[in-house]
Amino acid sequence: MNVYQFHPQVAYGDAASNQVLSLQHLLKDMGYRSEVFCEQQPFLFEGKTRPIPQYERHSSPENVLLLHFTMDYSSAVMSWLEKIPDRKVLIYHNITPHTYLAGINEPLAEAARRGRSQLARLKDICDAGWGVSAFNCRELAQRGWTNLAVLPIVFDPQRYAVRPDRTVLNRYRDGSPTILFVGRVAPNKCLEDLILSFFYLKRFMRPDARLLLVGAQGGMERYSAFLQKLVHTLSLPDVVFAGHVSNAELMAYYRCASVYLSLSEHEGFGVPLLESMHFGLPTIAYKAAAIPETLGNSGVLVNEKNYPAIAELINLLIEDDALRSLIVAGQRNRVRDFLPESVAARLRALLGDLETE
Amino acid sequence: MTDLLENDDWLEIRDPDVDAAEVAERVRERMAAREDLPQAEGSEKDPRALVDDLRRQMIDRDTNGDGLPIDERDCDVVPRNYVIDWRVPILGPVHALVRRLINAEIRRYLMPALEKQSYLNRQMLRLLDDLLQENKRLVQEIDELRGDRR
Repeated sequence: MNVYQFHPQVAYGDAASNQVLSLQHLLKDMGYRSEVFCEQQPFLFEGKTRPIPQYERHSSPENVLLLHFTMDYSSAVMSWLEKIPDRKVLIYHNITPHTYLAGINEPLAEAARRGRSQLARLKDICDAGWGVSAFNCRELAQRGWTNLAVLPIVFDPQRYAVRPDRTVLNRYRDGSPTILFVGRVAPNKCLEDLILSFFYLKRFMRPDARLLLVGAQGGMERYSAFLQKLVHTLSLPDVVFAGHVSNAELMAYYRCASVYLSLSEHEGFGVPLLESMHFGLPTIAYKAAAIPETLGNSGVLVNEKNYPAIAELINLLIEDDALRSLIVAGQRNRVRDFLPESVAARLRALLGDLETE
Repeated sequence: MTDLLENDDWLEIRDPDVDAAEVAERVRERMAAREDLPQAEGSEKDPRALVDDLRRQMIDRDTNGDGLPIDERDCDVVPRNYVIDWRVPILGPVHALVRRLINAEIRRYLMPALEKQSYLNRQMLRLLDDLLQENKRLVQEIDELRGDRR
């Protein structure tokens, strides 16, 4: 049995693409032949992906083809999937609800709507559905899917063994309380709530505080303009929109931060939560979607977006070293559940189940 | 706003080594000690209202279904923040220079065409909007004429 993967658009640094590469490593280590196929290949992508037409010579009913699903598939891909005889498993990373994108990026909102409606057709095409979280599996179950399982995101510390960017370190590692959020500038991530919490921290508690927002803004120009106007109106010069950063810069931002804060309302998993835990940052997150599941029994969850209270909580975590250490220790234990060896065991079991079916 | 803290469940720490109730209580005490902190949602100093206003101005659309489902903001198709994402492992300065040159060249080639397209989109939008209004006016006029004949 060979295990191949399909992801329509592989890209540098996004969670789904990293998962594709991590699974490829695990599958090869397990002795499977494993290639990655995609519709659009970026220039010199490290995983050496192949275009879909080349799959024809590999296609066989003996294969398992893992289909990564993050938004929607083109009609050409849907027809191709219906034709090939391979056993298919949907890897569901979840789709941002289109309601968040309306008014901000209409084509993306439409793609999100289309993607959710494609889940019904994919149910008939696929043999199984593996969510990267139980939250994702629950959504598939609500849409009539059966044969569901959780295959979590692989967290490979090797990916983070990069020397942090010195320019970022020199600029931001100055002892000021620094709040960090990492993720696309997207409305479901509610960056305005981060800014409001930061407003209370800066205005009433820590005038020397800084908020670092690290993530690409492409396609979200209208939302980005709204956030920048908000920052300007609230007179918060210490909010930094870092944009898309290199791996070395990302490492540096994590090392400059005091607390990681996420008030996102929709995450299919939330890789930056694991990253912040790996880098020893106390992590505060809003309890929504897959976030509590990713944190497990670690970190701090807030059920209400009470901005002054969140600011006070951040301040407490900055000042109380003992509390901070306790929380960070719990988080480090949680990260172990997502290490390659843990996910490999899960993947081996799931593939074993497929073989016996 | 602090009144929300009357709810004990606002904070959740599942780690058995951390006393969540104690942390929540410490947060509550610290907030109570801050006299300048706004005490209720909707107060004059509440920045949430500012967020709602800005959202209405900058993001929310007119959803009464009377007009076109697009507006001038949709006409601009120029990717103004785009930079090429290229991670070829060439030593820093050479990499940066090559990336800058490629970015500049792509922009030089594409931007004028996309600016023209954005201009055309805006003109088309105005024309469509005018036609829509004209159509509405004519429909109304026809209805009135039909009414007169009866």
